[in-house]
Amino acid sequence: MIRLNHVTKVYKGTVVAVRDVTVDIAKGEFVFLVGPSGSGKSTFIRLLNREELPQHGTIYVAGKDIGTLGAWRVPFLRRNIGFIFQDFKLLPKKTVAENVAFALEVIGKPRHVVRKQVPAIVELVGLTEKMGNFPHELSGGEQQRVSVARAFVNRPPILLADEPTGNLDPQTSVGIMKLLDRINRTGTTVVMATHDRSIVDTMRRRVIELDRGEVVRDQARGVYE
Amino acid sequence: MALNPRYVLRETGQNLWRNVLSSAAAIITIGVSLWLFGGFFLFNYAVDNATARWEGGIEFVVWMQPDATAEQDANIRDSIDTSPAIREWVYVDQNQTYQEFREIFADTPELIEVVSPEVLPPSYRVVPTNPDPDVVAELSGQFVGRPGVEEVVSADQTIRDIQRLADKVTRVFLVGSVILLTAATLLILTNIVSAIRSRGAEIEIMKVVGATNWFIRVPFMLEGLVQAVLGAMGAWVGLRILDDTVIKGLSEPDSLQLMQGFRVDQGEFYSTSLLVLVIAIVVSGIGSAVAVTRYLDV
Repeated sequence: MIRLNHVTKVYKGTVVAVRDVTVDIAKGEFVFLVGPSGSGKSTFIRLLNREELPQHGTIYVAGKDIGTLGAWRVPFLRRNIGFIFQDFKLLPKKTVAENVAFALEVIGKPRHVVRKQVPAIVELVGLTEKMGNFPHELSGGEQQRVSVARAFVNRPPILLADEPTGNLDPQTSVGIMKLLDRINRTGTTVVMATHDRSIVDTMRRRVIELDRGEVVRDQARGVYE
Repeated sequence: MALNPRYVLRETGQNLWRNVLSSAAAIITIGVSLWLFGGFFLFNYAVDNATARWEGGIEFVVWMQPDATAEQDANIRDSIDTSPAIREWVYVDQNQTYQEFREIFADTPELIEVVSPEVLPPSYRVVPTNPDPDVVAELSGQFVGRPGVEEVVSADQTIRDIQRLADKVTRVFLVGSVILLTAATLLILTNIVSAIRSRGAEIEIMKVVGATNWFIRVPFMLEGLVQAVLGAMGAWVGLRILDDTVIKGLSEPDSLQLMQGFRVDQGEFYSTSLLVLVIAIVVSGIGSAVAVTRYLDV
């Protein structure tokens, strides 16, 4: 599903964010990216989404070398990759339903598809009662659920999450992880950057540890360290 | 991927509403600049029409009285025909004059209805051997006040008067319109950049979920186009008023002789309107293109 082959990413010519990384991630895997701040976790995720291009190496997503994709094809790649932000990035003047629908409208989905898929995904994340609420009327955990719904409403085969529990308390974080686990069980590949030791240790999934841009550990059913 | 018209219209409307004051400023500036630009063309058409009778080297016209006798007419004709200072001449009889009159006042049929060929003066349109203004003035002066002659109009004087007026008016219109069109382009650009910046979060989400570059850009470009077309519509109304009041007013039958024929026909008016619309689209295209390529990172 995802393959990084000797990938190196350097910022401004000197700062090495990712150094000679080679990783294979199979379809349906749940992978934690761990490591200290500045270790390259976010860059790793941004490389998968083609927000960044590596200086060296190749990245394959679903069998395609995304480094050679023409700019006009990048949006079509991203339709196959859901993205969850640490700070939710919900649109404040749109309701829960509108925030989720926005992700479908802007890729040209017809209205009848939007009307069908939005209530279904909002129900999946447990927010049916709050479809008409605005983000400022929701708790942090609820806002992150909306963010998950928006990322998954198009049913992408890959879900990327950059510290999705970073702004949440431990109890709320557990709820978000249960949701991601449920999505993963549908066959969706999940790659999640995190600092949350308890979550990693509890879920016991594959762990890739980065340090100064290098993979220093790649462990199936691993723990934080 | 097909653009969703409902989505595009909604986003464009929201962009315009968010910047309603600066959008209004852009629309007014575009309208005034296009009005000046269109006015430049209308005045040029009117001047061309007013001076059309002087084409072919004709330097002066001897207007005969409608009731001049055959003997008076023969005297004038003989003088023109035998003068070595005159290279060639054309006699325009009352029926031909009436046809010209009908063309000039095609937009005012009520005037045509009350005029018949018999009340209009025939004329001799004269091409002198030497077009020097002093020679023409001396030659045309020989016909002034002679029996049967209503009036002698010199092309030299007429054209210079019209051209002097037209040059001043059109220069102001052209320079003013170019300056204002530049300002309008910058205003459109500024409005779109402002809209882009106020929607930074939405654009980021759109990019992440896979909206195409054009899907993101089109609402902003349409915003510029709407401003330009609204400005062009305002300019069109202004040009209609300019034509109906100023230009038609100057060419009325009781106006100065030199302004006779100073008019714009319907075809010229609509070609100018079309040009104004095209310029509006070009202006919005430039403003929008610079804004979305330089300030919208997709």
